[in-house]
Amino acid sequence: MNRQSRALLFILIVAGVLGIGYYLRTAVAPPAAPLALDEGPAAPAVRGGTLVASLRAEPRSFNRLTSRDYATEIVAMLTQGRLVRVNRATEEVEPWLAESWTVSPDGLTYTLTLREGVRWSDGAPFTSDDVVFTLAAVDDPRNASVLATSMRIDGAPLAVTAPDPRTVVVTFPTPFGPGIRLLDNLTIAPRHLLGDAAAAGTLAEAWTASTPPGEMAGLGPFMLVRYEPGQRLVFDRNPRYWRTDGRGEALPYLDRLVLDIVPDQNAELLRLESGQIDMVQQHLRPEDLSAARTLATAGRLRLLELGVGLDPDAFFFNLRPAKWASDPRAAWMPRAEFRHAISHAVDREAFANTVFLGAAVPVHGPITPGNKTWFSPNVPRYGYDQARARALLEGLGLTLNAATGFAEDAAGTRARFSVLTYSGNTQLMRGAEVLREDLRAIGVEMDIVPLEPNALIQRMLSGDFDAIYFNYFATDTDPAMSKDFWLSSGSAHVWHIGQATPATDWERTIDDLMTRQAASLDHEERVRLFNDVQRIFAEQLPVIYFAAPRLFIGVSSRVTHYTAGPIRPQLLWSPDSLAVAPAATP
Amino acid sequence: MTIGHYLLRRLAFALLLVLLVSSAAFLLTRLAPGDFTIEQGLTITAEERARLAADLGLDRPLAVQYGAWLGRAVRLDFGPSFLYSRPVADLLGERAANTAVLALAALIVATVLGVPAGVLSGRRAGATRRVVRGVSLLLLSVPPLVSSLVLVWIAARTGWLPLGGMTSLASDGSWSGWVADLARHLPLPVLALALPVAATLERLQSQALAEASREPFVAAAVARGLSWDRAVAAHAWPASLRAVLSVYGLIIGALFSGSFIVEVVTAWPGLGRLMYDALRARDLYLVAGCAATGAAFLAVGTLVSDLLLRWADPRLGGGGVSR
Amino acid sequence: MTRTALLLAATLGALAMAGPWIAPYAPQAQHRDFMHAPPMPPRVIDEGGLRAPFARPVVLADRLDQRYEVDEGRALPLPWGAPAGSDPVFLLGSDRLGRDVLSRVLHGARASLGLALVSTLGALLVGALLGAWAGYRGGWPDEVLMRVSEFVLVLPLVYVVLALRAVLPLVLPGTTVFLVMAGIFTLVAWPWAARGVRGIVAAERERDYVAAARAAGASPARVIWRHLLPACAGYLAVQATLLLPGFILAEATLSFIGLGFPDSLPSWGTMLAEAANVSSLARFPWTLAPAVAIFLVVLATNIAIERHGHTPLPIDRGTR
Repeated sequence: MNRQSRALLFILIVAGVLGIGYYLRTAVAPPAAPLALDEGPAAPAVRGGTLVASLRAEPRSFNRLTSRDYATEIVAMLTQGRLVRVNRATEEVEPWLAESWTVSPDGLTYTLTLREGVRWSDGAPFTSDDVVFTLAAVDDPRNASVLATSMRIDGAPLAVTAPDPRTVVVTFPTPFGPGIRLLDNLTIAPRHLLGDAAAAGTLAEAWTASTPPGEMAGLGPFMLVRYEPGQRLVFDRNPRYWRTDGRGEALPYLDRLVLDIVPDQNAELLRLESGQIDMVQQHLRPEDLSAARTLATAGRLRLLELGVGLDPDAFFFNLRPAKWASDPRAAWMPRAEFRHAISHAVDREAFANTVFLGAAVPVHGPITPGNKTWFSPNVPRYGYDQARARALLEGLGLTLNAATGFAEDAAGTRARFSVLTYSGNTQLMRGAEVLREDLRAIGVEMDIVPLEPNALIQRMLSGDFDAIYFNYFATDTDPAMSKDFWLSSGSAHVWHIGQATPATDWERTIDDLMTRQAASLDHEERVRLFNDVQRIFAEQLPVIYFAAPRLFIGVSSRVTHYTAGPIRPQLLWSPDSLAVAPAATP
Repeated sequence: MTIGHYLLRRLAFALLLVLLVSSAAFLLTRLAPGDFTIEQGLTITAEERARLAADLGLDRPLAVQYGAWLGRAVRLDFGPSFLYSRPVADLLGERAANTAVLALAALIVATVLGVPAGVLSGRRAGATRRVVRGVSLLLLSVPPLVSSLVLVWIAARTGWLPLGGMTSLASDGSWSGWVADLARHLPLPVLALALPVAATLERLQSQALAEASREPFVAAAVARGLSWDRAVAAHAWPASLRAVLSVYGLIIGALFSGSFIVEVVTAWPGLGRLMYDALRARDLYLVAGCAATGAAFLAVGTLVSDLLLRWADPRLGGGGVSR
Repeated sequence: MTRTALLLAATLGALAMAGPWIAPYAPQAQHRDFMHAPPMPPRVIDEGGLRAPFARPVVLADRLDQRYEVDEGRALPLPWGAPAGSDPVFLLGSDRLGRDVLSRVLHGARASLGLALVSTLGALLVGALLGAWAGYRGGWPDEVLMRVSEFVLVLPLVYVVLALRAVLPLVLPGTTVFLVMAGIFTLVAWPWAARGVRGIVAAERERDYVAAARAAGASPARVIWRHLLPACAGYLAVQATLLLPGFILAEATLSFIGLGFPDSLPSWGTMLAEAANVSSLARFPWTLAPAVAIFLVVLATNIAIERHGHTPLPIDRGTR
């Protein structure tokens, strides 16, 4: 083959590759359109049909009382029931298996009336006995229930009695602000199936992922009929489900709901795009919004805006005194002024534009504008101001070394720290890289150390770190449900976990305010107290926040009658009212 | 030494390998930072964490813990998985066959694509060699994650193949229906897994063939009147197989341990995903069980390739048999 | 062809060595209004006339889409020697943080190629010596070596790295990372060289010229070194071209487990790992530039090795 034909062959191959690439690219042409919020249609729901949703991970068990992973939680949402439900769209508490309740004047005792004629999916009647059994099983330490902590108020259990089969009396040990909202967490378990295991203290081994579906029963709209490990979960309509819609038609509308297990987020998006799944279980990544918008414009997908995210990525320094005991940076790094300087160094608008491609709002505290009830706009803010940041560093004795471009203290110790973050999390990595450049501009050097999650949490628990940049998810908007974060003794008080007594005065003040806030039954007072908490938190800035994403979720245009909420699962939290449009008859 | 003795000895070594690898996995996982209680995140207090560790036996000294595990493992009891509250053996049973199907199919495809391509490019210089080599090197230059994603993306845009999974829900339950369904789901993950391996085989075969073609016995065959292609096919190719077969066992092992990324991207319900989750969560006994299964696969793979090698070149055998 | 390959190899080597000096931008410099900006090819023809090379600036048209429009009315000087403060010119486009891909490829070349070369040489040397010894000696050393190589292969790297990461300090300087990674790569890859060399040596050992050398009183070391290893040269060369790209890519895996270069030091492997998502592949294919660089390196190595020191095939000598 001579030189010419070789060149020709090369050109042909390149042209072929480009041609295929062009064909594949233009198969979905990308016109730009605003991110649209699409409301579901108002026409009555059509009964029947199958909906396919995706799930990123395998359920670890089918027992919600002993497993807290997201997949198990979703399975419980589909197949099980609870006494009351927090509506994820309105944040209101709704009657569920309990059709009504009364509260004693002291706010401690709730008398709940259960719905009449509710049956488990295997036909056994549901009674107050099941409720008493569930709470006892959760509280039995031998069962190591993951719900145990959340079902206790300041370490004391709820007292439950059942005067008759349709009445449950729940008594709180101390006044608790969120009140009956707490019971939204409690998945009711059947005594007739799990009673023996709970009595033997082997609840965790009952209802594992290998338990045949026929041996389980629930109060939810669906029943598990098949589990193919690593592939999918199949749920069919529970014919004994108690709920009906406004027209008296029995719910759920769907005949069948399938959860396909798709571990990779890219593959998940492609499946949504090609119509192989109808919905996903978490909001879209910013980089995927463009593709989703294109599909929405083409009418193949609905793009729903869920509002501002509730859990902004958190940046915090280690504030354990033991950490700094023999550290040359002790004089300035654990100081609030240093954290203020960091906060001033970050251009939050640019941060939102860079990390979230503009689909985010700047935030200055853990409670974002997405939390409508508890967000306080009136807290001190330490916004973008490089000059102020430098001045604060100078006030701490950190002066710029012109040769290196970094600030140093009198002893020559550089303003330098390492920050741990989750490896493989693009959003955190991007954020950390933006932070590093912003801090460099004020003369602070930051080393990014990506670690896998287990190693990172292990260092956080042992206090072996300078700073951490990570994310975690709250399950409720009410701050009293996140006392483990706010209280100095809490297990999620990330900057100094599990203190025996508060290490600082401001933490003691927050402890006091939060305890009162959680115990108060007066909503106005609770808001006032929590505003104070947010103000002190913002002044001390133990955790720095930069931006909260505007969340969007994609749902196939054949799905109707969904209600989206900002907390995950954004759509499957209300599975009984989901419906799909019937396929067009050929 | 008879073939029976040989097989028996290899079996003993295979068991030793499984034991060593799973022990190493067990010990290294214990040495890695964190343990299963960390997996519970920030939701539990220090006391609850300590109680959980005691319940799971994680508070015992490493030697005691390892001894207890080893004692059970030699009786084929691999203990419970912390993550799934189920026996490790059950979980492995669900997944190992799926990974074996995928890896075996990929091995066949890689061999069928790679070896002939290597023969084609090793036989003589020219445009074919350049094109084949170019394609191989391109496949070796792209991360497996990217090539898998590109394949899934093409499948999504063209609609030719299912985007993932091993079987579809609509499968009618009959045996033939199941096989047909599996056959539709296999091409995507198999190609993703096999293409880089095919490129590796092509490069090895090509070089070995070119080298063998220079041997005097090939020239002698041509002198006897055989055409070049026939001389290569009859004399050079068998001689060239030696280099290919000697790493064939390693390729089999690499297919099993390298299938993780493909399993994630194509949602294949295999061992790789199970192992990754186990390792992330420090699910100690499951990690050890997965490692044992991987070692068993590799032992079988190398045994098969050594037997092939014996057959291709009786002077060699496996493990110094022909002394 | 050989000359072309050597020229290509020399050019790539020179670019890798000189990378930090010829890169137009600092590798971490973020241009936040130019995230995923498309490549801006240099031009020399403007309004029909020839002029000094320049590029057309791009302007952000939609931030969420990361879509840019080319401003045909303006011309920007190429980044080398451009006046400070002028708009950036990304000859190969920019990445997710608006960093210049060309600069990152150039800066990453030394670390990525250096690591891959050192690891490849290490693995080949260790593997060749062990494999030759086992193949020559036969018997139990052979058996042991084969079984050890299986153990090494099946023990996933991840365990070793996780345990190792725990004992190393949190912030690692680039040189430490380099040495640790090179050590790990050598450790896990030598079986690939060893098994093939063992096979070749065991076969060559029986041949006349080796018997003659032995009869003439040559020591085993000398026989291996002078006669048997040269017979493996071709095999080792191919292994080099297989291991080289593998190591460049595997660096990203180690980074994922937390044992990577400091992120201020770009590397081809991590750049590709960052590009590995569907949106990037479909809309920003230029982020795959490191894969092209790897391809060129491997191609040059391959051609150079293939042609070097080998007599052409009998068929290639003939007229066709």
